Amino acid sequence: MGEGTLLRVIDLKKHYGETKAVDGIAFSVANASVFTLLGPNGAGKTTTLEILEGIREADSGTIEIFGERVGRITRSIKQRTGVLLQDGGFEPYLKVREILTLFASFFDRPLPVQEILKHVALEEKAGALVRTLSGGQLQRLALGAALVNDPELIFLDEPTTGLDPQARRNMWSVVADLQDRGKTIILTTHYMEEAEALSDSVCILDHGTIIAEGTPRELTQAFGEETIVEFRIDDPSRKALGGLQTCCKQYRVDGGAVTVETEDLLTTMEELFAWSRREQVPLDSLIVRQPNLEDVFLSLTGRRLRE
Amino acid sequence: MTGILRIALAHVATAIRERVTLFWFLIFPAFVLVLLALIFGNLGEEGEISFELGLINRDTVSAGPIDFAEIVEETFRSLAEPGEGSAEPLFTLHQPNDDTDVEAFLDSELTALRRGRRAAVVVIQAGFGNAVFGSYGQASSDSAKLSVYMTTSNVASQMATEIIEQVLAGVDREILTRGGRYDAAQAIEPETVWLGTTGEETPYVDFVLPGIILMGFFVNGLFGVPGAILFNRDRKVLRRYWVTPLSVPRFLAGFSIGHLALCGLQFVLLYLLGRYALGASVSFASPSAFLLLLLAAVTFLAFGFLIASLARTTQGGMAAANILNMPMMFLSGLFFPIAGLPFFLRLIVYANPLSYLAQGLRASLGIETSVFTPTQILGVPLAWIALSVVIASIRLRWDVER
Repeated sequence: MGEGTLLRVIDLKKHYGETKAVDGIAFSVANASVFTLLGPNGAGKTTTLEILEGIREADSGTIEIFGERVGRITRSIKQRTGVLLQDGGFEPYLKVREILTLFASFFDRPLPVQEILKHVALEEKAGALVRTLSGGQLQRLALGAALVNDPELIFLDEPTTGLDPQARRNMWSVVADLQDRGKTIILTTHYMEEAEALSDSVCILDHGTIIAEGTPRELTQAFGEETIVEFRIDDPSRKALGGLQTCCKQYRVDGGAVTVETEDLLTTMEELFAWSRREQVPLDSLIVRQPNLEDVFLSLTGRRLRE
Repeated sequence: MTGILRIALAHVATAIRERVTLFWFLIFPAFVLVLLALIFGNLGEEGEISFELGLINRDTVSAGPIDFAEIVEETFRSLAEPGEGSAEPLFTLHQPNDDTDVEAFLDSELTALRRGRRAAVVVIQAGFGNAVFGSYGQASSDSAKLSVYMTTSNVASQMATEIIEQVLAGVDREILTRGGRYDAAQAIEPETVWLGTTGEETPYVDFVLPGIILMGFFVNGLFGVPGAILFNRDRKVLRRYWVTPLSVPRFLAGFSIGHLALCGLQFVLLYLLGRYALGASVSFASPSAFLLLLLAAVTFLAFGFLIASLARTTQGGMAAANILNMPMMFLSGLFFPIAGLPFFLRLIVYANPLSYLAQGLRASLGIETSVFTPTQILGVPLAWIALSVVIASIRLRWDVER
């Protein structure tokens, strides 16, 4: 394991009967980085994380963590990790402070509970019962429980799923803050914008295998110098759509949404407007953007991340 | 250690704050205790009850001109007839027919007494008439023998005995007064024979309080333990613990300490209610009573783990607890004697740890003499604890299935 590598996974496998939840994946996570497992539901992200968190045991494979090669995640490793589960619950009749005090008691060197409360902005809710918290507050409490031991390695499993945009942004800023403090973070998400915003490196999973890996920029650059043009049309079955072939070499139609990939944006746009005038097809909701991880996944699998 | 105690505290705090748990944990047993004490604590008030009484006259040979045994028998018969205005008779008499074997009838009456079907059995012993007649002529120093069999497991038995004593005192006084020889020293002396008792009268609330405490432990274990574990598993509360260094044995230790603390709290509250609100005087301050209370709490805790290990969901666990609840509670001797049950039901009684714990606890408190040996009282619950722990350790899943 390299000097700057905190975690390495080699040929990890976990099967449930005929289902290959994780099928021989391998990756490395650099110290003080944000590493993201990106993929649709059922890709194997959570299973991979649960093996690394110590909830499940792998059928086979090697895990090197904190400079040690281990068969399974031990209690001494758990002393140094923090886990934000995708769907863990709390005792509804305990108070916020009691929950954090309880979790702090499981560790050898916990942080003061008041410090955690402040860090996750729950000081005012310290005496509130868990059952009275909002979704965003619950997620902050879960994050507080994950950080109570001041962990070196933090697992965040779908940390913003189900949160409103404001709460999602708050969570992003917490992750950025943790990274600034030198923590290593392994994140799973199916939000490509989240992966792009937070990640130092991304591993795209599908059907239990890794289909692409690299920094967000490296992955999107696999598209070359292409630019994406998107617009909507009222009637995708119109004959006029056939004429689009003359101005755009690569385009996809998904319902009423048309996505065009081009290396020559200026020419493509001129031809698109000409086609629109000629065929009298308005280009609704027209946007021009750079390729993102969604496009990478789409080009690799033919499916969207959230399908 | 801190983690274990924090788990215990969390368990106690959750149970106390949750209304449903609090109801089953405290309100329900307290309600049952008050209800039973109010209803049955006043049994025997005038005109409210008729006692089932066995009456056997063994003194069939009259030595003198007066058949004194017949006088006593007749007195009881008159009390078994409806009073003025068709008032309920004081006694319903059960006597042998002329062709009945008296000793066999006595055996059957004593069995009925043990089963709670008789309030008392009165036996006019052979030689009773002679003794009374002798008292007239000062020929005998023996007092007349009349036996009254009763049991403390039936509260009506105690009240019936008091009435019988008063009846006999009246008969005695009447006989002697008629002969002009009334002498307190020569009065008929009823000999009270207690079946399964220490010989002290037990108020009903003292009788029922240990049973209610056991019922509280039982309900707490049968419903509270699987409820807490399965709810926390289904709601994925436990998953959060398993990603920390907390191990399953430490969690179990904390959970068990919390559960036993709740049982202790339940005991204290019910005891205070019984003692200060309902006038109970039974004392639990003996090592054997403490040991049996602890054994009961641990047994039902283990039963709770067993149910949790056999259920896939919280609903399934509660259904299993409900199925076990009624037969275990009612086939335990907590509420009525067990001897008269059909064979297959008696099998359940003998397999039921609650039967042994209930009798053992009452015996340790001096309320009842147990039909079970000390080895059985300790051994059967311990066997259930061992069996439950083994099955639970194999079957209990700590995380939701994928």
